[in-house]
Amino acid sequence: MNMQAKIQRTPAEQGLMDAFDALVSELPGDSAVTARRDRLMADFGDKGLPSRRIEAWHYTDLRTLLRAVPDHLPGETADEIDPVLAGSHVLPLIGGRYVEPREIEGLKVASFRDALSGGTATESLAPLREDDVIGRLNGAFVMDGYTLTLAAGSAPEKIMELQSVQNGGQAHGRFRLEAEAGSRATFLERHAGGEASGLTSSVSEIDLAEGVELVWIIVQERGLEDTHLAQLRAKLAADAKLTVYVINMGGKLVRQEVDVMVEGEGAHFDLRSINLLAGQSHTDLTLTLGHVVPNTTSEEIVRNVVLDRARGAFQGQIRVAREAQKTDAQMSCNSLLLSDDGEFDAKPELEIFADDVVCAHGATVDDLDPVHLFYLAARGVPEKIARALLIKGFVEELLDELDDEALSDALRERVENWLDAHV
Amino acid sequence: MPAVQETIDQVRSIDVDQYKYGFETMIETDKAPKGLSEDIIRFISAKKDEPEWMLEWRLAAYERWLTMEEPDWARVEYPKIDFNDIYYYAAPKGTSGPKTIDEVDPELLATYEKLGIPLREQEILAGVQQSKIAVDAVFDSVSVVTTFKKELAAAGVIFMSISEAIREYPELVKKYLGSVVPQSDNYYATLNSAVFTDGSFVFVPKGVRCPMELSTYFRINEKNTGQFERTLIIAEEGAYVSYLEGCTAPQRDENQLHAAVVELVALDDAEIKYSTVQNWFPGDKEGKGGIYNFVTKRGDCRGDRSKISWTQVETGSAITWKYPSCILRGDESQGEFYSIAVSNGYQQIDSGTKMIHLGKNTSSRIISKGISAGNSNNTYRGQVSAHRKAANARNFTQCDSLLIGDRCGAHTVPYIEAKNASAQFEHEATTSKISEDQLFYCLARGIPEEEAIALIVNGFVKDVIQQLPMEFAVEAQKLIGISLEGSVG
Repeated sequence: MNMQAKIQRTPAEQGLMDAFDALVSELPGDSAVTARRDRLMADFGDKGLPSRRIEAWHYTDLRTLLRAVPDHLPGETADEIDPVLAGSHVLPLIGGRYVEPREIEGLKVASFRDALSGGTATESLAPLREDDVIGRLNGAFVMDGYTLTLAAGSAPEKIMELQSVQNGGQAHGRFRLEAEAGSRATFLERHAGGEASGLTSSVSEIDLAEGVELVWIIVQERGLEDTHLAQLRAKLAADAKLTVYVINMGGKLVRQEVDVMVEGEGAHFDLRSINLLAGQSHTDLTLTLGHVVPNTTSEEIVRNVVLDRARGAFQGQIRVAREAQKTDAQMSCNSLLLSDDGEFDAKPELEIFADDVVCAHGATVDDLDPVHLFYLAARGVPEKIARALLIKGFVEELLDELDDEALSDALRERVENWLDAHV
Repeated sequence: MPAVQETIDQVRSIDVDQYKYGFETMIETDKAPKGLSEDIIRFISAKKDEPEWMLEWRLAAYERWLTMEEPDWARVEYPKIDFNDIYYYAAPKGTSGPKTIDEVDPELLATYEKLGIPLREQEILAGVQQSKIAVDAVFDSVSVVTTFKKELAAAGVIFMSISEAIREYPELVKKYLGSVVPQSDNYYATLNSAVFTDGSFVFVPKGVRCPMELSTYFRINEKNTGQFERTLIIAEEGAYVSYLEGCTAPQRDENQLHAAVVELVALDDAEIKYSTVQNWFPGDKEGKGGIYNFVTKRGDCRGDRSKISWTQVETGSAITWKYPSCILRGDESQGEFYSIAVSNGYQQIDSGTKMIHLGKNTSSRIISKGISAGNSNNTYRGQVSAHRKAANARNFTQCDSLLIGDRCGAHTVPYIEAKNASAQFEHEATTSKISEDQLFYCLARGIPEEEAIALIVNGFVKDVIQQLPMEFAVEAQKLIGISLEGSVG
């Protein structure tokens, strides 16, 4: 099989290999980083892009879907854009490049480029697993990003918006956050694109020390021709609480991975995801969640709206290790499939080795409930508006859970704009 | 509830040895030489007196098989199988095919009696059994006897071994064989297509409701022998048939391969109910020996308003790899899958179903209960998909897992694929251990722990047991008791 893959390299695979050759001399990093990059690319050369035969990529056959890659250089430089919530601290990554350090109380900010040259980033360039293509490509290509440290006990009031803006070309960025004990903050990781076709990869690594309470919101609004491959890696120490929001409403070929390790007792993880899919978009949300110590909990709720010829996928794997007694993990994935040309695939997985646990998952796929529509119709609400109302209710429910009302309103507005434009 | 009491009694009556079907019958057999080659396939075909087309069909499958790779996606681990170290044909001496009961070796009859399967019709009639069941008994590679054939024939039902059917009803076999599970379907199904030795053939003509339950009892006796049976059931328009399948094997240290293919075809308004109690030897306490059960079972709801229902109780086998599926092709067709999979010791189970919705207004229901104990791993893997044109496809899936002890694993891997806006799919899964409250309640009332567990487990699997024909329900409950014995403490 490997032999075959080598012989029949796809144009996209070849394009990525060529891009690496063209870029390698400009990529930042000390000798260890350079050696690691070479090895990652050599592995990529061997393994290539994953096909549906690779279980983790069952619903996103990247080998077939990624037909070509754009030029290796970022396209025309896009500018910093207004943050989702006015008044947020903006940390922009424009065309894959760190812009300038900003002073934010309680937060130490440095460029990831410096970490690459300074020898502190080598280890994190390793992929998570054999089949971790996003980690592999990002590790080989990463140019810049942010290294952030949230000081112990600090609680910045404003939201930090990490902004990756990209119009065409390629960019590979990375965000690293170390949240020291007892800190609290809200981060918004935003990916915006333009009209030109682009390829971006993004890896965010967040490390929560004891008692940290963190909200991490991913808003993906790439352009209609963009390919976006992203990964969030999170580790939770004892009593840490992490809430991740993933809101997908852009891009042509999108894969967002969320990999969480709940490593400290008393820790809690929440995932809320809204996936709005229209046109020809292919969007895949893949969660791998490990409970490895006793007494931890997690809850995941994923809501999807599929229109037109879009295709969506959710894979969610919860692993409960032998030692992780008293784990409570609940996952649900609900999809509104509103078009006969659309498709939604769900694979919620449980892998359980401990006996004293409560784990459950639920998955539904359905059209709007005719009873609900009838209820509204009987009260004189025209069908079009009734449908829109029901769809909004279905997804916006998740935003109501955010403590920050202003942020919740700002996100709701974006979601509604999308729905108004597409439904 | 008397049935529950029965389970408790059963658990109590069992000694150290958990597998009561582990005896071996000393009987002389005809065997083909070990190994797999074109010659062996020709040998099997000749031995069965098959027509030329059948041999060609087998050889085509073999050729295909040589190019295929063993699948590795299931969550099971086992050393590589040496396909040349297996006997592909073993038959009790003197039985080239089914005969009248008087010609059957008494040793064989005794074996089946020991297994609780009477083969003499008068005994069945005189016996305590309340309803008649026609049995096809398959011993290693051949069917030794089929009971009640005459009575069935009077109703128009054909029930015989597949080897016989190939000779007597070649047109029917030719029409349907491989039409649900094609030769090239998967590694083990293709192997089966090349070397299958026997199995049952059932044909229920238009409008006939089969007057009794049909049953096949599979027994692997011979050492180093693989069993490759092939079952084909056809229910014509408006027909109904209920079919039961049971299996056991002697206790041995080495692993044995069982790779079967079952094909069901239901035409307009037909209904097939297929129930299995799978109790192959699961291996000993250290995980040594046991059957590798790699089976392809698929039903095709070809006609409108047809229905296929799978019910399985899986307690045996060292490794189970089995996904009884329904292709819901006809409009308004229905598929059902009820399963209890119990794993103990070092057993590995990767089982589930596929419901492929193709026709309009089709519906399916999946209830799966997995129970893991000891050092076993038990995986539910299921796929539900709605084709673009499958308007109003409806599925409900519930899969629950129960863990007993902290060295086992329970896994759930559902694939839910909707390509149609009017599809309505619901899936729920839970994993938990036996509720301490329930256990405490029983203990406080003086019920010993093991009995209490059997009681709670029986409650847990009740939904599935209810789907089994009466005769099987009792046996299944007994089996669950046996399989869980020794899992506490």
